[in-house]
Amino acid sequence: MPFGVGRCVRPCLRLLASGAVLALGAREARAQAGTVSAARVIAFSATKISQLSVTVSSGAVQSIPSLTDNAVNNFPTPVVITTTWDVNPGQTNTVNLIAYFITPAQALSSGANQIPASRVLGRMTTGLPVTFTAITQNALGGVGTAGGSLRLFAQNITGANKKASRTDNLNLQINLVGIPTLPIGSYSGTLNLRAVTQ
Amino acid sequence: MQRPLNRALAVAAALALAAATTAQAQVGLTSNTATVTLNATKSSTLTVTPTTATATLASITDNSNVNNFTNVGLTTAWNLTAGTSVNLIGWFATPASALANGTAVIPSSNVEGGINGGGFTAFTGGAVGGVGVAGGSLQLFNQAVAAANFLGTRTDQLNVRLNLVGFPTTSAGLYTGTLNVQAVVQ
Repeated sequence: MPFGVGRCVRPCLRLLASGAVLALGAREARAQAGTVSAARVIAFSATKISQLSVTVSSGAVQSIPSLTDNAVNNFPTPVVITTTWDVNPGQTNTVNLIAYFITPAQALSSGANQIPASRVLGRMTTGLPVTFTAITQNALGGVGTAGGSLRLFAQNITGANKKASRTDNLNLQINLVGIPTLPIGSYSGTLNLRAVTQ
Repeated sequence: MQRPLNRALAVAAALALAAATTAQAQVGLTSNTATVTLNATKSSTLTVTPTTATATLASITDNSNVNNFTNVGLTTAWNLTAGTSVNLIGWFATPASALANGTAVIPSSNVEGGINGGGFTAFTGGAVGGVGVAGGSLQLFNQAVAAANFLGTRTDQLNVRLNLVGFPTTSAGLYTGTLNVQAVVQ
């Protein structure tokens, strides 16, 4: 064995082996850099609940101290109604306010004697019935009763007024023209006010 | 490649479902129900309505009871919840001078009334139920009322005459006076 070669075999083999290991390590390092996993999707959802409310700020109790037969009897003060909404304009065309009696045949009653809804008229000069109109319409959007309702306004909804409110005056009267003399008594009833979107 | 696609589709479907649920919730959204209490009182009524405000006698005949004024129709209407009778009273505020012509007067004792062609009676009675004046009143009718006719009406003809039999000769001139007609429930 020549002097140089014979002495170099083992160390050289070790050196070659080390080089091979280093080369393998370099390849793994190249494979990890820039590796991406599969995409994972996390869905977030948060619901903004739409809001719709009706309040009577004044005139919640209306009284006529003395009814006159065969005449139009006005309730002396208006009912002041505030309707507030916060709705999605993409899913709501209008906000509607409905006035209605549960039992149209007896809007007001005094014992066995009744004043029907057809004799109770409402007017909202800022709404739909700008003149006195009998409360004899049908329900709207499931709100109201057949023959005992009156649509007071239909507010168009856009992006500009998706969250807003409006205040209106409702005037009421009892029209006794042309009906038999009303028996004496204290007549009372409840007019319901409810808003509905469409 | 297939797995991520499936997952993306599933997520999209879930989002669409959530959006649809929100849409359903907003269509027909209703508010609370606010209420307005309505009160109206129908009170008892009692009215007397004459068909004319003036009754005339063209020519007075002295010492005669054939001095008939033109008839006056009277409609009495009532709407009650209690009481036993409706009474109609005719009365002169000052019996001593039911009609006057300056200082010349005809007292209520010489003025007689009746209804519907019945007999005549002088206006010399007392008040009824606080209606009328002593010595100058005449109860024209007494209508019984009960639950069955608490709501009612009647129309009568009031006949009035001057009975000047035995009365001093009247002065020439226009005699005028006011007869009050008022109903009262008892």
